[in-house]
Amino acid sequence: MNLPNVQFTEEQKQFRQEVRSFLKQHIEKGTFETRCDSWLSGSDPSFSKLVAEQGWIGMTWPKQYGGSERSTIDRYILTEEFLAYGAPVAAHWFADRQTGPLLLRFGTDYQKEFFLPKIVKGECFFAIGLSEPNSGSDLASVATRAEKVEGGWIVNGAKTWSSNAHDAHYMVTLIRTEPLGEKKHEGLSQFIIDLKGEGVTIAPIRYLTGEPHFNDVYLDNVFVPDEMVVGTLGNGWKQGLAELAFERSGPERILSTFPLLNEVIEQLKIKRDLAGLEEATKLVAELWSLRNLSIGVAKVLEEGGEVAVPAALVKSIGTKFEQKIPEIIRLLLDVYPNLQSDNRVERYLAESILHAPGFTIRGGTSEVLYGILAKGVIAQ
Amino acid sequence: MSEIKEMVVEVVEKIFKDKVEKETVDLLEENKWAEDIWQLLLENELHHVAVSEEDGGAGGDIEDLLALYELVGKYAAPVPYVEHTLANFLLQQVELKGYEQLTTYSITTPLQLKGDALFGTLKHVGWAQYAKKLVTMAQEGSQQFIVVADLQDAQLKNSTNLAAEPRSEVVFENLKALQKVPVSEKQYDVFKKFVTAASVSKMGGALTTAFQLSVQFSKEREQFGRPIHRFQLVQQHLASMAGEQTLMTVAVNNIRTLLAAGREEREVAYARLRMDDASRTVATSAHQVHAAIGVTHEHRLHQYTRRLWAWRDEEFTARYWKKQLAQQLLETKIDLWESITDQAETHVHA
Repeated sequence: MNLPNVQFTEEQKQFRQEVRSFLKQHIEKGTFETRCDSWLSGSDPSFSKLVAEQGWIGMTWPKQYGGSERSTIDRYILTEEFLAYGAPVAAHWFADRQTGPLLLRFGTDYQKEFFLPKIVKGECFFAIGLSEPNSGSDLASVATRAEKVEGGWIVNGAKTWSSNAHDAHYMVTLIRTEPLGEKKHEGLSQFIIDLKGEGVTIAPIRYLTGEPHFNDVYLDNVFVPDEMVVGTLGNGWKQGLAELAFERSGPERILSTFPLLNEVIEQLKIKRDLAGLEEATKLVAELWSLRNLSIGVAKVLEEGGEVAVPAALVKSIGTKFEQKIPEIIRLLLDVYPNLQSDNRVERYLAESILHAPGFTIRGGTSEVLYGILAKGVIAQ
Repeated sequence: MSEIKEMVVEVVEKIFKDKVEKETVDLLEENKWAEDIWQLLLENELHHVAVSEEDGGAGGDIEDLLALYELVGKYAAPVPYVEHTLANFLLQQVELKGYEQLTTYSITTPLQLKGDALFGTLKHVGWAQYAKKLVTMAQEGSQQFIVVADLQDAQLKNSTNLAAEPRSEVVFENLKALQKVPVSEKQYDVFKKFVTAASVSKMGGALTTAFQLSVQFSKEREQFGRPIHRFQLVQQHLASMAGEQTLMTVAVNNIRTLLAAGREEREVAYARLRMDDASRTVATSAHQVHAAIGVTHEHRLHQYTRRLWAWRDEEFTARYWKKQLAQQLLETKIDLWESITDQAETHVHA
């Protein structure tokens, strides 16, 4: 696999500085506190509003829907800065990363005009409804079904592991719209379901940390009007796959535990611990090479190229790296992991340890990704 | 990227593809090397890549050279191409003319210089037993020099590295330096980076072939009634090798571009460190996928894995760069994230 080698331009470097000073300013004002895994565990609708005011939600989207038509690389830079400073972006994350691009590609004019400007303003958040109870990694084993009625569909079933559904207004939901045939990938469609609507029950599932994080979403005779069908009926699986490339290759698969690494290096510098810094340097080298890879995929995505296999690569290696950081760090300093600690290293370490098992599971388990990669390599 | 790159890469790849057989590489074990391939490279003027046209060279830059070094690794080419061209490239950096005669280099340990006389011992000098000239570093007081010595007059103790490539210990006792030019600490740093980028490029090539051999083998080899790539545990090896190979290809491209643009800061060091992990993973998995046949001399795999194991411990190692990077971190005021994202504009060509 060959990926382009991206060098940032002067304008892009300047943009990075702009984002960074915005974040530093808000850390100083106490708007938010840096934390690890902020993109999934740091949901703060009022912070999302501030981000929207900067024009930084849906920034690559067409101007007619409120976007600013900036490049994928600009968005990459923005995302990296959010993660490095551990900003609470989870509320608008899925709408910005997945729903927007999905609607731009497959949505009707009505859907684009209705949803995109609201997303851009930070007023409309989305959850993703792919997994189902007991389906595990087998995403195509969809049992949630829809029956056609006058003007729409009646949906029954359940979705699970929907991150942030408790904060979101809508959910893009994969649903069986034709009876299960021989091929379980066929006959699936994507619906937008109003999470505040009748028949929808959201039950939070608490994460290892005890916090609500993902959810069970029960759908009991939920009416979905025809205009909320995304793309082509029966084409849901293919549309969903296109979404996964966006989900797998971004900096969020590398930087979830970066605040910990950054803080520890600061501490080692203060202690003038050269041996500790040498160990930490190996992680920095790894981060550098992963970033190159991930930025390369972003560039190919921007040019509309095929990235399913390299995106799976970023996800599988990147998340292992995120997971490794706390395990190496704890051997470099005398530090006691504690979620309530005033000491940043202790707090970040605790967050990293408790969030780490999820990194190699959410968005495709490493084992499933290995299969995709090996098949991709054999096919070449 | 230079315009001639694509063309020279094509020519060299064709030569290696046609001429470098497993048996050609095996000859090194008997103390013979592929003189005919070397002559072919000379006839095609390929030793003049990255030599300026005023100096009778073919033009091109470090980026082109590094692309060719990747091919040396990819084909396990048993010729002193890297040694000769890099030695002359280093001379060119201090405005000295290169040599037509076979030349090698060794810049890890500076010799002592007293007037024009050289003293000291260099270890593991590549191809010294065949080379006529040596480009190396020497020190007099606190001043460093790049010097050229005549290998014919030095004492050599010949040996090989793990891959049976010629390596010699070279002892200098009052040997006259043919040329000497003072270099600054900064220039010496840049030389170190060129040399390191060369070994990272070679390793990248060898790693690619070790991976490709494994993919091919996993398709051809059947066990329990199906090709072994159908087994999940074999797939896991293939996936992790694919990851390391892609990661390092992007990394090697990146440092080439940065070096050619004179914008390298810490990236060569990062790539070198990362290459240690990548080569370990790929060598281990490649042997595991090939199983018993892969550990025999009969199979080609060892020509690549032995090179990976040998090269990772030569010249400026991951350990060396790890210390350098740690020291730099200690001295810098800016934090880690700023240092990673800042693509400094300082020029490495001092």
